[in-house]
Amino acid sequence: MVQTIFSAFICFMLFPLKGLALEPTEKLIFEKNSLYQYISVIEDTVKKERYVRNQKREYAQGGIYVDAPDKLLFEFTQMGFVSLAFLDKDPKDVLFVGLGAGAMPKYFTGRYPDAVIDIAEIDPDMVSIAKKYFYFKETDRMKAYENDGRIFVKRTKKKYDWIILDAYQNDYIPFHLTTLEFLKEVKSRLKDNGVVVTNITSPYRNRFFDSMVMTYKKAFPHLAIFKGKKSANFIFVATASSKNKDKDVVEARARKIQSDRKFDIDLEDFASRYESSEAYEWGGAKILTDDFSPVNLYQHQKSGAQ
Amino acid sequence: MIKFVVFICGAIVMSFEILGSRVLAPNFGSSVFVWGSLISVFLAGLSAGYYLGGKFADINPSSRKLSLIIIAPGLLLLTFPLYSAPITDWIFMKDLGVRTSPLLASSVLFLIPSFFLGIVSPYTAKLMICSLHTSGKTIGMLYALSTFGSIIGTLLTSFYLITVAGVNALITGQGALLVIISTPLFFKNLSCKPEDNPPGNPT
Repeated sequence: MVQTIFSAFICFMLFPLKGLALEPTEKLIFEKNSLYQYISVIEDTVKKERYVRNQKREYAQGGIYVDAPDKLLFEFTQMGFVSLAFLDKDPKDVLFVGLGAGAMPKYFTGRYPDAVIDIAEIDPDMVSIAKKYFYFKETDRMKAYENDGRIFVKRTKKKYDWIILDAYQNDYIPFHLTTLEFLKEVKSRLKDNGVVVTNITSPYRNRFFDSMVMTYKKAFPHLAIFKGKKSANFIFVATASSKNKDKDVVEARARKIQSDRKFDIDLEDFASRYESSEAYEWGGAKILTDDFSPVNLYQHQKSGAQ
Repeated sequence: MIKFVVFICGAIVMSFEILGSRVLAPNFGSSVFVWGSLISVFLAGLSAGYYLGGKFADINPSSRKLSLIIIAPGLLLLTFPLYSAPITDWIFMKDLGVRTSPLLASSVLFLIPSFFLGIVSPYTAKLMICSLHTSGKTIGMLYALSTFGSIIGTLLTSFYLITVAGVNALITGQGALLVIISTPLFFKNLSCKPEDNPPGNPT
Protein backbone atom coordinates (compact mmCIF):
# COMPACT_ATOMS: atom_id res chain seq x y z
CA MET A 1 0.00 0.00 0.00
CA VAL A 2 2.85 2.37 0.63
CA GLN A 3 4.42 1.43 -2.69
CA THR A 4 2.24 3.90 -4.53
CA ILE A 5 3.83 6.72 -2.63
CA PHE A 6 7.29 5.36 -3.20
CA SER A 7 6.79 4.98 -6.90
CA ALA A 8 5.27 8.43 -7.18
CA PHE A 9 8.31 9.74 -5.34
CA ILE A 10 10.72 7.94 -7.63
CA CYS A 11 8.90 9.28 -10.67
CA PHE A 12 9.12 12.74 -9.22
CA MET A 13 12.85 12.36 -8.70
CA LEU A 14 13.58 11.02 -12.13
CA PHE A 15 11.23 13.10 -14.21
CA PRO A 16 10.89 16.57 -12.80
CA LEU A 17 8.48 18.88 -14.51
CA LYS A 18 9.96 20.95 -17.24
CA GLY A 19 8.07 24.11 -16.45
CA LEU A 20 10.61 26.05 -18.36
CA ALA A 21 9.53 29.14 -20.22
CA LEU A 22 12.21 30.73 -22.36
CA GLU A 23 12.50 34.40 -23.09
CA PRO A 24 12.05 35.25 -26.78
CA THR A 25 15.77 35.96 -27.06
CA GLU A 26 16.75 32.66 -25.48
CA LYS A 27 17.30 29.39 -27.19
CA LEU A 28 17.61 25.96 -25.69
CA ILE A 29 20.85 24.28 -26.67
CA PHE A 30 20.69 21.16 -24.56
CA GLU A 31 18.54 19.61 -21.86
CA LYS A 32 18.71 16.46 -19.84
CA ASN A 33 17.29 14.80 -16.77
CA SER A 34 20.43 13.67 -15.04
CA LEU A 35 20.50 11.37 -12.04
CA TYR A 36 20.09 14.37 -9.80
CA GLN A 37 18.41 17.20 -11.60
CA TYR A 38 16.95 18.69 -14.71
CA ILE A 39 19.78 20.46 -16.50
CA SER A 40 19.39 22.87 -19.38
CA VAL A 41 21.93 24.83 -21.36
CA ILE A 42 20.44 28.04 -22.66
CA GLU A 43 21.86 30.78 -24.80
CA ASP A 44 20.70 34.37 -24.84
CA THR A 45 21.21 35.34 -28.48
CA VAL A 46 21.05 39.08 -27.83
CA LYS A 47 23.22 39.31 -24.74
CA LYS A 48 25.46 36.57 -26.18
CA GLU A 49 25.51 34.72 -22.88
CA ARG A 50 25.21 31.02 -22.20
CA TYR A 51 23.85 29.59 -18.96
CA VAL A 52 23.39 26.23 -17.31
CA ARG A 53 20.21 26.04 -15.26
CA ASN A 54 18.00 23.70 -13.31
CA GLN A 55 14.26 24.26 -13.37
CA LYS A 56 14.22 27.74 -11.90
CA ARG A 57 15.07 30.20 -14.62
CA GLU A 58 16.15 32.94 -12.24
CA TYR A 59 18.92 30.81 -10.79
CA ALA A 60 21.68 29.89 -13.21
CA GLN A 61 24.24 27.42 -11.92
CA GLY A 62 26.86 29.05 -14.08
CA GLY A 63 27.48 30.73 -17.39
CA ILE A 64 29.84 32.39 -19.84
CA TYR A 65 29.98 35.14 -22.41
CA VAL A 66 29.81 33.32 -25.72
CA ASP A 67 32.34 35.66 -27.32
CA ALA A 68 34.62 35.82 -24.28
CA PRO A 69 34.46 32.49 -22.50
CA ASP A 70 37.50 33.31 -20.35
CA LYS A 71 35.77 36.20 -18.62
CA LEU A 72 33.66 35.72 -15.52
CA LEU A 73 30.00 36.37 -16.20
CA PHE A 74 28.37 36.22 -12.79
CA GLU A 75 29.03 38.52 -9.89
CA PHE A 76 29.19 35.70 -7.37
CA THR A 77 31.96 33.96 -9.29
CA GLN A 78 33.90 37.24 -9.53
CA MET A 79 33.32 38.15 -5.93
CA GLY A 80 34.44 34.72 -4.71
CA PHE A 81 38.00 35.53 -5.78
CA VAL A 82 38.23 38.27 -3.17
CA SER A 83 38.89 35.47 -0.70
CA LEU A 84 42.35 35.03 -2.25
CA ALA A 85 43.25 38.26 -0.49
CA PHE A 86 42.88 36.50 2.85
CA LEU A 87 45.72 34.11 2.01
CA ASP A 88 49.27 35.00 2.95
CA LYS A 89 50.72 33.35 -0.12
CA ASP A 90 49.59 31.92 -3.43
CA PRO A 91 47.36 28.88 -2.98
CA LYS A 92 48.93 25.57 -4.01
CA ASP A 93 46.18 23.10 -3.18
CA VAL A 94 42.64 24.07 -3.98
CA LEU A 95 39.30 22.32 -3.61
CA PHE A 96 36.04 23.28 -5.29
CA VAL A 97 32.86 21.68 -3.98
CA GLY A 98 30.36 21.98 -6.82
CA LEU A 99 31.46 22.57 -10.39
CA GLY A 100 28.63 24.54 -11.99
CA ALA A 101 29.78 25.55 -15.46
CA GLY A 102 33.39 25.31 -14.30
CA ALA A 103 33.92 29.05 -14.73
CA MET A 104 35.69 29.63 -11.42
CA PRO A 105 38.25 26.80 -11.65
CA LYS A 106 38.88 27.65 -15.29
CA TYR A 107 39.49 31.31 -14.47
CA PHE A 108 41.62 30.41 -11.47
CA THR A 109 43.88 27.93 -13.24
CA GLY A 110 44.48 30.51 -15.97
CA ARG A 111 46.01 32.84 -13.38
CA TYR A 112 47.57 30.29 -11.07
CA PRO A 113 48.81 27.58 -13.43
CA ASP A 114 50.93 25.93 -10.73
CA ALA A 115 48.06 25.27 -8.34
CA VAL A 116 46.65 21.76 -8.03
CA ILE A 117 42.87 21.83 -8.19
CA ASP A 118 40.46 19.14 -7.04
CA ILE A 119 36.78 19.49 -7.83
CA ALA A 120 34.06 17.44 -6.14
CA GLU A 121 30.91 17.27 -8.27
CA ILE A 122 28.15 14.79 -7.55
CA ASP A 123 26.57 14.88 -11.00
CA PRO A 124 28.67 13.38 -13.83
CA ASP A 125 26.42 15.13 -16.36
CA MET A 126 27.41 18.52 -14.99
CA VAL A 127 31.05 17.67 -15.69
CA SER A 128 30.37 16.67 -19.27
CA ILE A 129 28.16 19.73 -19.84
CA ALA A 130 30.85 22.03 -18.45
CA LYS A 131 33.32 20.43 -20.86
CA LYS A 132 31.05 20.42 -23.88
CA TYR A 133 29.42 23.84 -23.60
CA PHE A 134 31.57 25.90 -21.23
CA TYR A 135 35.17 25.22 -22.28
CA PHE A 136 36.02 23.47 -19.02
CA LYS A 137 39.00 21.11 -19.34
CA GLU A 138 40.49 18.62 -16.96
CA THR A 139 44.28 18.61 -16.83
CA ASP A 140 47.05 16.97 -14.81
CA ARG A 141 46.58 19.72 -12.28
CA MET A 142 42.82 20.09 -12.40
CA LYS A 143 40.61 17.06 -11.87
CA ALA A 144 36.89 16.64 -11.29
CA TYR A 145 35.89 13.82 -8.95
CA GLU A 146 32.42 12.38 -9.20
CA ASN A 147 31.52 12.42 -5.53
CA ASP A 148 29.26 14.01 -2.99
CA GLY A 149 31.10 17.04 -1.58
CA ARG A 150 30.60 15.93 1.99
CA ILE A 151 32.00 12.48 1.32
CA PHE A 152 34.93 13.87 -0.65
CA VAL A 153 35.86 16.16 2.22
CA LYS A 154 35.52 13.36 4.77
CA ARG A 155 37.57 10.91 2.74
CA THR A 156 40.39 13.06 1.43
CA LYS A 157 43.72 12.93 3.22
CA LYS A 158 44.85 16.14 1.55
CA LYS A 159 44.93 19.57 3.12
CA TYR A 160 44.03 22.63 1.12
CA ASP A 161 44.98 26.30 1.10
CA TRP A 162 41.71 27.40 -0.40
CA ILE A 163 38.33 25.64 -0.37
CA ILE A 164 35.41 26.98 -2.38
CA LEU A 165 31.94 25.79 -1.36
CA ASP A 166 29.44 26.38 -4.14
CA ALA A 167 27.27 23.28 -4.38
CA TYR A 168 23.71 24.17 -5.21
CA GLN A 169 20.57 22.47 -6.36
CA ASN A 170 18.41 25.16 -7.92
CA ASP A 171 18.50 27.90 -5.30
CA TYR A 172 19.42 25.89 -2.24
CA ILE A 173 22.44 24.18 -0.71
CA PRO A 174 21.86 20.50 0.14
CA PHE A 175 21.38 20.38 3.90
CA HIS A 176 24.37 18.17 4.67
CA LEU A 177 26.66 20.85 3.19
CA THR A 178 25.36 23.53 5.57
CA THR A 179 25.88 21.98 8.98
CA LEU A 180 28.35 22.69 11.76
CA GLU A 181 29.66 19.13 11.49
CA PHE A 182 30.40 19.63 7.79
CA LEU A 183 32.11 22.96 8.36
CA LYS A 184 34.30 21.36 11.02
CA GLU A 185 35.22 18.65 8.56
CA VAL A 186 36.07 21.35 6.00
CA LYS A 187 38.16 23.17 8.58
CA SER A 188 40.08 19.98 9.34
CA ARG A 189 41.03 19.83 5.64
CA LEU A 190 42.40 23.40 5.62
CA LYS A 191 46.07 24.17 6.09
CA ASP A 192 46.94 26.37 9.05
CA ASN A 193 46.38 29.62 7.19
CA GLY A 194 43.76 28.21 4.85
CA VAL A 195 40.65 30.02 3.74
CA VAL A 196 37.18 28.78 2.91
CA VAL A 197 34.80 30.79 0.75
CA THR A 198 31.11 30.13 0.31
CA ASN A 199 28.47 31.57 -1.98
CA ILE A 200 25.22 32.12 -0.09
CA THR A 201 22.14 33.08 -2.07
CA SER A 202 19.62 35.06 -0.08
CA PRO A 203 17.26 37.15 -2.23
CA TYR A 204 16.01 38.84 0.90
CA ARG A 205 17.57 38.39 4.30
CA ASN A 206 16.07 35.06 5.26
CA ARG A 207 16.35 32.77 8.24
CA PHE A 208 18.70 30.47 6.35
CA PHE A 209 21.12 33.36 5.95
CA ASP A 210 20.87 34.15 9.68
CA SER A 211 21.63 30.54 10.54
CA MET A 212 24.52 30.29 8.09
CA VAL A 213 26.18 33.35 9.67
CA MET A 214 25.93 31.85 13.14
CA THR A 215 27.01 28.38 12.01
CA TYR A 216 30.11 29.73 10.23
CA LYS A 217 30.86 31.88 13.26
CA LYS A 218 30.74 28.80 15.44
CA ALA A 219 32.96 26.71 13.15
CA PHE A 220 35.62 29.30 12.28
CA PRO A 221 37.50 31.94 14.25
CA HIS A 222 36.80 34.71 11.74
CA LEU A 223 34.12 35.41 9.20
CA ALA A 224 33.99 38.26 6.71
CA ILE A 225 30.98 38.90 4.49
CA PHE A 226 30.80 40.53 1.07
CA LYS A 227 27.48 41.59 -0.34
CA GLY A 228 26.62 41.42 -4.00
CA LYS A 229 25.51 44.62 -5.70
CA LYS A 230 24.02 43.16 -8.85
CA SER A 231 22.87 39.91 -7.34
CA ALA A 232 21.33 38.41 -4.22
CA ASN A 233 24.58 36.70 -3.35
CA PHE A 234 26.66 37.00 -0.25
CA ILE A 235 30.21 35.73 -0.15
CA PHE A 236 31.32 34.29 3.18
CA VAL A 237 35.05 34.14 3.77
CA ALA A 238 36.17 32.18 6.82
CA THR A 239 39.72 31.60 7.97
CA ALA A 240 41.24 28.64 9.77
CA SER A 241 43.75 30.85 11.55
CA SER A 242 42.74 32.86 14.57
CA LYS A 243 44.72 35.83 13.29
CA ASN A 244 42.19 38.26 11.88
CA LYS A 245 42.78 40.07 8.62
CA ASP A 246 41.27 43.51 8.72
CA LYS A 247 39.92 45.48 5.82
CA ASP A 248 43.08 47.45 5.07
CA VAL A 249 45.22 44.32 4.83
CA VAL A 250 42.68 42.59 2.58
CA GLU A 251 42.35 45.62 0.31
CA ALA A 252 46.11 45.97 -0.04
CA ARG A 253 46.49 42.30 -0.78
CA ALA A 254 43.62 42.39 -3.30
CA ARG A 255 45.35 45.25 -5.12
CA LYS A 256 48.58 43.28 -5.30
CA ILE A 257 46.91 40.10 -6.54
CA GLN A 258 44.95 42.12 -9.05
CA SER A 259 48.11 43.39 -10.72
CA ASP A 260 50.38 40.38 -10.14
CA ARG A 261 47.93 37.90 -11.59
CA LYS A 262 46.30 40.18 -14.13
CA PHE A 263 42.74 39.84 -12.94
CA ASP A 264 40.27 41.48 -15.32
CA ILE A 265 37.74 41.90 -12.53
CA ASP A 266 37.91 44.61 -9.91
CA LEU A 267 39.13 42.71 -6.86
CA GLU A 268 39.81 45.93 -5.02
CA ASP A 269 36.22 47.03 -5.40
CA PHE A 270 35.05 43.70 -4.01
CA ALA A 271 37.54 44.00 -1.15
CA SER A 272 36.12 47.41 -0.31
CA ARG A 273 32.79 45.71 0.46
CA TYR A 274 34.45 43.86 3.34
CA GLU A 275 32.15 43.65 6.34
CA SER A 276 32.75 41.90 9.61
CA SER A 277 30.13 39.25 10.25
CA GLU A 278 29.07 41.17 13.34
CA ALA A 279 26.90 43.34 11.13
CA TYR A 280 24.87 40.27 10.24
CA GLU A 281 24.87 38.25 13.43
CA TRP A 282 21.58 37.60 15.09
CA GLY A 283 21.68 35.69 18.34
CA GLY A 284 18.23 34.24 17.81
CA ALA A 285 19.31 32.27 14.75
CA LYS A 286 19.74 28.55 15.26
CA ILE A 287 23.02 26.87 14.40
CA LEU A 288 22.51 24.26 11.70
CA THR A 289 23.61 20.74 12.58
CA ASP A 290 23.29 17.28 11.06
CA ASP A 291 20.43 16.80 13.48
CA PHE A 292 18.66 20.08 12.71
CA SER A 293 18.94 21.85 9.38
CA PRO A 294 15.66 22.92 7.76
CA VAL A 295 17.38 24.60 4.81
CA ASN A 296 14.43 24.76 2.43
CA LEU A 297 11.95 25.96 4.99
CA TYR A 298 14.28 28.58 6.45
CA GLN A 299 14.82 30.02 2.99
CA HIS A 300 11.20 31.00 2.85
CA GLN A 301 11.11 32.61 6.27
CA LYS A 302 12.13 36.22 6.76
CA SER A 303 15.19 36.99 8.81
CA GLY A 304 14.54 37.43 12.48
CA ALA A 305 17.20 40.11 12.69
CA GLN A 306 15.11 43.14 11.75
CA MET B 1 -8.91 2.01 17.97
CA ILE B 2 -7.29 -0.39 15.51
CA LYS B 3 -8.04 2.02 12.70
CA PHE B 4 -6.18 4.74 14.54
CA VAL B 5 -3.21 2.41 15.07
CA VAL B 6 -3.09 1.57 11.36
CA PHE B 7 -3.16 5.26 10.51
CA ILE B 8 -0.33 6.11 12.92
CA CYS B 9 1.82 3.20 11.76
CA GLY B 10 1.36 4.28 8.15
CA ALA B 11 2.35 7.83 9.09
CA ILE B 12 5.45 6.72 10.97
CA VAL B 13 6.75 4.48 8.16
CA MET B 14 7.01 7.38 5.74
CA SER B 15 8.04 9.97 8.28
CA PHE B 16 10.82 7.66 9.45
CA GLU B 17 11.93 7.14 5.87
CA ILE B 18 12.20 10.86 5.20
CA LEU B 19 14.19 11.32 8.39
CA GLY B 20 16.27 8.31 7.35
CA SER B 21 17.66 10.28 4.43
CA ARG B 22 18.92 12.84 6.93
CA VAL B 23 20.45 10.14 9.09
CA LEU B 24 22.42 8.77 6.13
CA ALA B 25 23.54 12.05 4.49
CA PRO B 26 26.38 12.98 6.86
CA ASN B 27 28.25 9.75 6.17
CA PHE B 28 27.00 8.70 2.75
CA GLY B 29 25.90 11.94 1.12
CA SER B 30 22.73 12.38 -0.86
CA SER B 31 23.75 10.46 -3.94
CA VAL B 32 21.24 8.46 -5.94
CA PHE B 33 22.68 5.33 -4.30
CA VAL B 34 21.66 6.61 -0.89
CA TRP B 35 18.09 7.22 -2.00
CA GLY B 36 17.99 3.90 -3.82
CA SER B 37 19.26 2.05 -0.74
CA LEU B 38 16.87 3.79 1.59
CA ILE B 39 13.74 3.24 -0.48
CA SER B 40 14.52 -0.38 -1.37
CA VAL B 41 15.31 -1.32 2.22
CA PHE B 42 12.03 0.12 3.46
CA LEU B 43 10.16 -1.74 0.72
CA ALA B 44 12.02 -4.96 1.52
CA GLY B 45 11.16 -4.62 5.21
CA LEU B 46 7.53 -3.87 4.46
CA SER B 47 7.07 -6.69 1.98
CA ALA B 48 8.69 -9.22 4.32
CA GLY B 49 6.43 -7.88 7.07
CA TYR B 50 3.32 -8.18 4.88
CA TYR B 51 4.21 -11.76 3.91
CA LEU B 52 5.24 -13.17 7.27
CA GLY B 53 2.75 -11.00 9.13
CA GLY B 54 -0.04 -12.52 7.07
CA LYS B 55 1.07 -16.01 8.02
CA PHE B 56 1.51 -15.03 11.64
CA ALA B 57 -1.96 -13.53 11.69
CA ASP B 58 -3.49 -16.90 10.98
CA ILE B 59 -2.18 -18.33 14.26
CA ASN B 60 -4.45 -17.24 17.13
CA PRO B 61 -4.50 -13.52 16.35
CA SER B 62 -5.01 -11.18 19.27
CA SER B 63 -4.67 -7.50 19.95
CA ARG B 64 -2.19 -8.37 22.68
CA LYS B 65 0.17 -9.87 20.10
CA LEU B 66 -0.44 -6.86 17.85
CA SER B 67 0.64 -4.55 20.63
CA LEU B 68 3.90 -6.47 20.99
CA ILE B 69 4.45 -6.21 17.22
CA ILE B 70 4.13 -2.42 17.49
CA ILE B 71 6.15 -2.07 20.68
CA ALA B 72 9.17 -3.71 19.00
CA PRO B 73 9.79 -0.93 16.41
CA GLY B 74 8.66 1.54 19.08
CA LEU B 75 11.59 0.58 21.27
CA LEU B 76 13.98 0.53 18.31
CA LEU B 77 12.98 4.09 17.37
CA LEU B 78 12.94 5.26 20.96
CA THR B 79 16.60 4.26 21.33
CA PHE B 80 17.58 5.14 17.74
CA PRO B 81 19.93 8.05 18.61
CA LEU B 82 21.98 5.74 20.82
CA TYR B 83 23.04 3.46 18.01
CA SER B 84 22.53 5.26 14.70
CA ALA B 85 25.65 7.45 14.75
CA PRO B 86 28.04 4.69 15.94
CA ILE B 87 26.71 2.32 13.27
CA THR B 88 26.85 4.79 10.38
CA ASP B 89 30.27 6.07 11.51
CA TRP B 90 31.58 2.52 11.64
CA ILE B 91 30.28 1.69 8.16
CA PHE B 92 31.77 4.95 6.86
CA MET B 93 35.17 3.95 8.27
CA LYS B 94 34.95 0.53 6.63
CA ASP B 95 34.46 2.27 3.27
CA LEU B 96 32.69 -0.52 1.42
CA GLY B 97 32.04 1.59 -1.65
CA VAL B 98 29.46 4.14 -2.73
CA ARG B 99 26.73 1.54 -3.21
CA THR B 100 27.39 -1.05 -0.50
CA SER B 101 27.96 1.43 2.35
CA PRO B 102 24.56 3.14 2.23
CA LEU B 103 22.82 -0.15 1.45
CA LEU B 104 24.34 -1.82 4.48
CA ALA B 105 23.65 1.15 6.73
CA SER B 106 20.02 1.31 5.56
CA SER B 107 19.60 -2.41 6.14
CA VAL B 108 20.98 -2.31 9.65
CA LEU B 109 19.00 0.77 10.68
CA PHE B 110 15.71 0.48 8.81
CA LEU B 111 15.00 -3.12 7.82
CA ILE B 112 13.79 -4.39 11.18
CA PRO B 113 11.54 -1.44 12.09
CA SER B 114 9.94 -1.44 8.64
CA PHE B 115 9.50 -5.23 8.85
CA PHE B 116 7.50 -4.91 12.08
CA LEU B 117 5.49 -1.99 10.76
CA GLY B 118 4.73 -4.09 7.68
CA ILE B 119 3.24 -6.83 9.88
CA VAL B 120 0.68 -4.36 11.20
CA SER B 121 -1.32 -4.24 7.97
CA PRO B 122 -2.19 -7.92 7.45
CA TYR B 123 -2.44 -8.48 11.17
CA THR B 124 -5.01 -5.75 11.73
CA ALA B 125 -6.87 -6.93 8.65
CA LYS B 126 -7.15 -10.37 10.20
CA LEU B 127 -8.33 -8.90 13.51
CA MET B 128 -10.96 -6.78 11.86
CA ILE B 129 -12.35 -9.16 9.30
CA CYS B 130 -15.42 -10.58 10.91
CA SER B 131 -17.24 -11.72 7.87
CA LEU B 132 -16.00 -12.91 4.55
CA HIS B 133 -18.88 -11.02 2.95
CA THR B 134 -17.35 -7.68 3.87
CA SER B 135 -13.67 -8.61 3.97
CA GLY B 136 -12.92 -6.66 0.79
CA LYS B 137 -14.40 -3.55 2.31
CA THR B 138 -12.43 -3.97 5.51
CA ILE B 139 -9.13 -4.59 3.75
CA GLY B 140 -9.70 -1.67 1.41
CA MET B 141 -10.44 0.60 4.32
CA LEU B 142 -7.28 -0.47 6.13
CA TYR B 143 -5.14 0.07 3.02
CA ALA B 144 -6.63 3.50 2.56
CA LEU B 145 -6.10 4.44 6.20
CA SER B 146 -2.52 3.26 6.19
CA THR B 147 -1.67 5.11 2.99
CA PHE B 148 -3.55 8.20 4.14
CA GLY B 149 -1.47 8.03 7.30
CA SER B 150 1.65 7.84 5.14
CA ILE B 151 0.60 10.96 3.25
CA ILE B 152 0.02 12.88 6.47
CA GLY B 153 3.30 11.58 7.90
CA THR B 154 5.20 12.64 4.81
CA LEU B 155 3.70 16.12 4.63
CA LEU B 156 3.84 16.80 8.34
CA THR B 157 7.49 15.76 8.55
CA SER B 158 8.82 17.49 5.47
CA PHE B 159 6.70 20.65 5.71
CA TYR B 160 6.71 21.23 9.40
CA LEU B 161 8.30 18.86 11.91
CA ILE B 162 11.78 19.22 10.45
CA THR B 163 11.76 22.96 11.33
CA VAL B 164 10.72 22.50 14.92
CA ALA B 165 12.88 19.64 16.15
CA GLY B 166 16.00 17.70 15.38
CA VAL B 167 16.00 14.43 13.50
CA ASN B 168 16.93 12.39 16.56
CA ALA B 169 14.23 14.00 18.69
CA LEU B 170 11.63 13.30 16.00
CA ILE B 171 12.60 9.64 15.66
CA THR B 172 12.57 9.22 19.43
CA GLY B 173 9.15 10.85 19.47
CA GLN B 174 7.89 8.41 16.86
CA GLY B 175 9.16 5.55 19.00
CA ALA B 176 7.36 6.96 22.02
CA LEU B 177 4.17 7.33 19.99
CA LEU B 178 4.33 3.70 18.87
CA VAL B 179 4.78 2.53 22.45
CA ILE B 180 1.89 4.71 23.61
CA ILE B 181 -0.59 3.56 20.99
CA SER B 182 0.34 -0.09 21.48
CA THR B 183 -0.24 -0.05 25.24
CA PRO B 184 -4.07 -0.04 25.19
CA LEU B 185 -4.02 -2.85 22.62
CA PHE B 186 -2.16 -4.97 25.13
CA PHE B 187 -4.88 -4.69 27.73
CA LYS B 188 -7.95 -4.71 25.51
CA ASN B 189 -9.05 -7.78 23.75
CA LEU B 190 -10.10 -6.42 20.42
CA SER B 191 -11.29 -8.90 17.89
CA CYS B 192 -14.50 -10.08 16.28
CA LYS B 193 -17.29 -10.57 18.74
CA PRO B 194 -18.92 -13.97 18.47
CA GLU B 195 -22.28 -12.48 17.39
CA ASP B 196 -20.62 -10.90 14.35
CA ASN B 197 -19.63 -14.30 13.15
CA PRO B 198 -22.15 -16.78 14.51
CA PRO B 199 -21.39 -20.44 14.29
CA GLY B 200 -23.05 -22.01 11.33
CA ASN B 201 -22.19 -19.16 9.00
CA PRO B 202 -20.53 -20.52 5.89
CA THR B 203 -17.11 -19.04 6.56
